[in-house]
Formats: sequence, C-alpha cells, structure tokens
Amino acid sequence: MPHSLPSSPKSTPKNGGNGITKFTNCRILKGASLVEEDLWVNSITGKVIRSQSAFYDDFVLPDEVINLGGRILAPGLIECQLNGAFGFNFSTLLEPAAYAKKIREINKQLVKTGVTSYIPTITSQLDQIYKRALPHLGPSGYLQVAEDGAESLGAHVEGPFLSPTKNGVHNVDVLRQAHSFEDLEDCYGAANINPESNHYHPIPIKMITAAPEIGQMTKLIPEITSRGIIYSIGHSEATYEEASRAVGAGATMITHLFNAMRPLHHRNPGIFGVLGIAESLPRPYFGIIADGEHLHPTTIKIAFNAHPDGFILVTDAMHLVGLPDGAYQWTNGDCTNHIIKRGSKLILEGSDRIAGSSITLIECVNNFLNWSGTSIPQALRAVTSTPAAMLGLQGIKGCLDDGADADLIVLSERHNPPSSHMLERELVIDEVWKFGTRVFTR
Amino acid sequence: MRLIIRDDSESASAYVANYIIDRIRHFSPTPEHPFVLGLPTGSSPLGVYRILVEKYKAGQISFENVVTFNMDEYVGIPRDHPESYHSFMWKNFFSHVNVNPNNVHILNGNAPNLEAECVEYEAKIKRAGGIDLFLGGIGEDGHIAFNEPGSSLASRTRVKTLAYDTILANSRFFDNDIKRVPRMALTVGVQTILEAREVVVIILGTRKALALQRCVEQGVNHMWTLSSLQLHPHPMIVCDEDATLELKVKTVKYFKSIEIVAKAQGFEQILPSKIRTGPGPIPKTVVNEVQSPTILAPQPTTSRLLRATPATEYPVRSVSPDIPELVPDRMADRTGVPSLANRLTPQPEQQQHRMASVGA
Repeated sequence: MPHSLPSSPKSTPKNGGNGITKFTNCRILKGASLVEEDLWVNSITGKVIRSQSAFYDDFVLPDEVINLGGRILAPGLIECQLNGAFGFNFSTLLEPAAYAKKIREINKQLVKTGVTSYIPTITSQLDQIYKRALPHLGPSGYLQVAEDGAESLGAHVEGPFLSPTKNGVHNVDVLRQAHSFEDLEDCYGAANINPESNHYHPIPIKMITAAPEIGQMTKLIPEITSRGIIYSIGHSEATYEEASRAVGAGATMITHLFNAMRPLHHRNPGIFGVLGIAESLPRPYFGIIADGEHLHPTTIKIAFNAHPDGFILVTDAMHLVGLPDGAYQWTNGDCTNHIIKRGSKLILEGSDRIAGSSITLIECVNNFLNWSGTSIPQALRAVTSTPAAMLGLQGIKGCLDDGADADLIVLSERHNPPSSHMLERELVIDEVWKFGTRVFTR
Repeated sequence: MRLIIRDDSESASAYVANYIIDRIRHFSPTPEHPFVLGLPTGSSPLGVYRILVEKYKAGQISFENVVTFNMDEYVGIPRDHPESYHSFMWKNFFSHVNVNPNNVHILNGNAPNLEAECVEYEAKIKRAGGIDLFLGGIGEDGHIAFNEPGSSLASRTRVKTLAYDTILANSRFFDNDIKRVPRMALTVGVQTILEAREVVVIILGTRKALALQRCVEQGVNHMWTLSSLQLHPHPMIVCDEDATLELKVKTVKYFKSIEIVAKAQGFEQILPSKIRTGPGPIPKTVVNEVQSPTILAPQPTTSRLLRATPATEYPVRSVSPDIPELVPDRMADRTGVPSLANRLTPQPEQQQHRMASVGA
C-alpha cells in the first residue's frame, strides 16, 4: 500500500508560509450531494486538513484564501482503464530510461485533463513487455511530488489470460491459460506480483483482468486477492454461474461491462447477471465506457440503475487520445496493425472492431450526465469515490474528507442551448490541484 | 439601561451587529491595543454572527486585532463534537472571518483540572485588559452564560451544573436524548460579565418574553441572573417585538420614546471616551469657556457598587462650537447709546444721582 508509508513533503511553499490554502464560496462534493462548505488543504502534507483542529490546535490561518465564486470543488478524477495517452502506449517495449521519461511526460499531460490518479493498463502482451514495463507503472510510493502531475495507483494487466473468442482487439496469439500461480509469475514476472519485504516498493500490479473460465483462473482468484491485487472479470465467455463462482472466489470488479463478454440473455444473464443479488453475493464494481461508441446510452442507464454504488466510468482510451485524426500504427504484441482515428472513434484497420476509445474521462462524465439525467454528484461519484472504494483507497483518494489526499478539481457548469450540437449540461475543468498545489489552470 | 426594540429578529440582529462594528471601528484596535470582545453561543446570536460575517466579507470590518473570549463550554464532550461550543464558534464565526487563532479564547471543558482552567481564564481576561464589549444571550429562565437561576451575582468563572430546564432545552441538539446532554459546563460568572466595560444582550422570541420582563421591570434577583445587568453602568438590551410580550405597554413605549429622543439628539449609547477609544490617546473635549455667570451642573455619578468603572469616568458630551453660547448682556450694548439725555427710561446712574439729591 503506497499510502501507509512514511511520507515526504509533497511540495515546498515558495514564500516560506505554512502551505495551507482555504477554498471558500464553493460547492464541495460530499457523498451524494454538493454542500456549501470551506475546504482547507495543506500543500506540505498534501492532505485535506480538518480546519477546526488546525485553528484551535495549531493556531494556523490559511496562507491563501481562494474564492471559487460558487463553483464546484470535487476530488480529482480517478481513471481505472487507460492504455496510453498523448501518443504513448503503455504496452510498448522501450529502454527503461526512455520508458520512464515517457511516463513522466504522460503524468504531466494527463493531470491537465482532471485525472489526478490512474491505473495504467497493459493489454495482452508477451511476457517480456510485462517484465520491462510493469516496474515503471507501479504506485509512486514514497516519492509523491505535486509537480509530477498525475499519479499511478498501480498497473492494470488486462490479459493475457483471456478468452480467445472475446479478445476484442487483443492479439489472439499471445493469449495464455493459467493453471497455477506460477503461470502468473512466469507471465508478469514474480517481482511484479509478489509483495517485497522492502515496503518502499509496493507491488506494481494493482488489478488483473482475466476470464475466470480459462484454465484454473477461478481457483487462483484468492491467491491474487490475498496480495491486495484486484481481480476483475473481463474478456470472457463466462456464464452467469461461472461469473458468480468468480465473485464468490473474490472477484470485485468487471472490466468494461457488456463489452467483450456474452450479452445479457434472458435465460442466462451472463456476467451482467452478478449485478443482481440472486446468489446473495456481494455485487462487484464495474467499468462502463460512456463514449457513445461502446455502449448505447440506455444500456448505460440500465447498468447504473442495476447497481449505482458499483458504477465506475472508464475511458479505455488508447494512446491516441489528444492526437489528430488519421491512421496510426499500433504494435500489438509481435504484429503491427493500424488504427483509424476519426474524432473520438477508433477502429482497427480492415475491420469494424472498436479499438478502445480516445475520449477523456470528463467527457465520459458529461455524456453520462446528459444521457441519464442524473445529478452532478452522482455522475462525479462514478469517477471519484466509487473507483477509490474499488481500489481499497476509501478516505485517501476520491473524497474530500479530513486526511484524504488533496487532489482536487474546480469545475464550472455550462448550460449550452439545446439547438447547438454540444451537450446541454457540461462540466468544464477550470483548475486541477495535486497534493494541495495548483498544477493546472484553464 | 438601554432597551432597543426592533420589529423582528432580523432587524434586532442587524442592530447588534452594526453596533459591534461601529464600536470596533471607533476603537480602531491595534495589535498592542486590541478590542476585547466577549461572545456567546446559542440560537439568539446566530443572526448577529451571520451579519458580522457578511460585513467582513464585504470588507466593512476586520477582526484582525479583535481578541475574543467565549462565555462557556460543555464539560466532557470532545472539543470537536458537533455540539461543542468550539464547533459552534468555528462553524458560525471563526471559519469565515480573519480572527487570529491566537486571539481566540474558549474554556476547555476537557482540561485535566477544571478549576485551574477557570482561574486561568479569569487571569487571561485580566491580561487582555478586560473585556470591552460582552455580547450575550439569555435562556428562558433568564440565565446569562450558564449562570443558572440561583447563581451568585458575585460569581466568577467556574464549573457549573446545568439546570434541568437548560438540559431539556439543549436536548434538541443531542437527538432529543436527555441522557446525552452534558450535565456540567464551564462558564464565566455574573461578576465576570459585569466587569466588562459594556454589556450588550440580544433577546429574541416569545419564549424569552418572561425572562426579559423579569430582568427589566423587576428588581435585581439571583433567580433571573440577567437582572444583575441593572447594576452595570453601560448595559444595553436589544430585543424583537415578540420578546416584549410580557412587558408593560408603558415600559415598551418609554424605551421606544427615549430611543427616538436620543437619536434626535445625535447620540445612542453614551460611553466614556476612554471606553469608546480604548487606552490610546483620548480626544480632547472642546468646551467654550464661559466666564460668568456659570451654572454648576451636578456631577453625574456611576455605580460604585461593583467597582466596574470608577465614578470619575463620567460621560462627557461635546459642546458644539457652532451654537452661540447664551451670554447675558444689555440691549443697549448692541444697539448703541445715542444720547443719555434723550432716553425714555431713566438711567440707573441718573436715578442714583436723583435719589441722592432727594434724600439730601
């Protein structure tokens, strides 16, 4: 766990002040509502502080008071499925120094989109890519500095233990089966999946997406979760029964619900069925791609209403997010394809398969807001407190409680006229704060 | 005593807030000579705090050099409990204004030695130079701070057990569960309040009407501790119409009329200039000296009962230099004397002369 570690200063106040900032005249996301309250953050500890104690115990007043003029102050967005961004794909074989440099660049860019922490995702690859890339994608651990931008909460390995018939755009040739935990260690590298005695380096892998019916995967779930790694069902032909067994074994997440899995059938509801409470099992969290391509808006609404507390918006964005339209080369394992980017649409060349998306997370939130007509707090929950809870980071990420990391976004509401081709309700990111320090202003 | 009556709670609160702002401004506090403000909690002063915060945000007042002392705090509930008076003050006032945390004083209900905490609190007030203005509210039984009925009128800061009525009234803040209401509190004493250089009390609503009547129309009585205000040289009660329901029509009319008269004369609360401006340089009062004849006004006296303020500090009002003083003179001096012989009225000198000749 990165956050139980001793902590270094997140930043150094320039003027020798106490680094405390007070936000006032703002609406704060608290639970399922926006409340008018002040918020105090400390840029040295990088945390939200309990203002009353700071006042009475430490006799401090904020260095800076920021009047937000009634705008919304929300926790920074958490992205649970991001394959790459700004031209760099995490599933790339590079020299360590070059790879680390690319990650640093992405972190600085990504934070400007409001995403303050994320789960970098590696698609199904040959083992050498995992072994090379994963050490760079682990949680930032001891060294957390505001100026570094977005922060990895650990890597997501989507594959290669997937169903060959639900591979999506993953390369079928690299897909494997696991019969024992050694198979996982062999694929990802033992160091990337086992906790070290040295706690300064948390396990790089935070989440594994695998098909429970492939090999002996269902039996391996307890071994995975005992290491603090999230097991997520995805890219799977699992029936309702198989999915239920996986949930019973400890699966707590479903990777991009509806996509790359059997559809809901009235005689066998498939993986979607576990969102019912028929087997009295805990209901897993689930990722939803609200880009207008992967899912119909109504499907998203049905999923939301089935289990609002498990609803997580993800982008599944490819490295092409932020780049102009055109055909881009994509190295997928050992074969090279092209992806055609048209707007936010990504299609694998020579097919009609969706190759991830190139949407930003705030755009997903805005889509969901308009399609479902839900409240702003409900929509923001799907990218803040719900993913934090899924990752076991309640009270640290995705909330503005005392002691939580001071990752914040300032949002203004925009109401566009119905005649325009824009969404009617739109949230615009005005400012992004990481560990109590402002890192982006629109 | 001054009793200010306003139509509703909002305008009564606004009066108090504006009065406090005027006092602080006129005092022009500095870090060396801060304005020392005593503060209450409870429902009555909420409106006052709200308006003070609004005025602060509008840039009309700064609390930078204001030292605050709170009246009371529960014993035995955590300091950050949502119903503690620390939380009340933070939520309703301190978090919104620029009061320096080092200038804030609230009794610690969790102190290891409560008695020592109370003694120290009195000492802190003394070190701060005494309280310039104590704002207060009252309970339905007429208590000020937690000085419940029967409290000594000479009491000082101490541990106090709460009256059953107060526990009942406060249970609404503790899920209506009487068992969860603290039984004890630390509170400043009646004497502590009366030693403030000025006391302003806000009383709102019909529930407080009887208490107001007891404190204004009846005598000083330890069963209605607010009535001790009658012994203070500069007390002011601000209330709404609802709170006056138990008062005599005569009382209400009297206090309303003197407010109108006082306003017409251009003054409201008369305070010694030393109190108004703090220990800084006292503005010199300009008096047009008149040689003769002189009317010697009786020296106003202030109560020495409680030694709140020495009797030498009597109120002074400036005399405006614009108004010409009445100097007795003769019409003849103004019109000029054409000729003594042509005068119709006999000249006093001539009369004397004539009388002397007649007698001769």
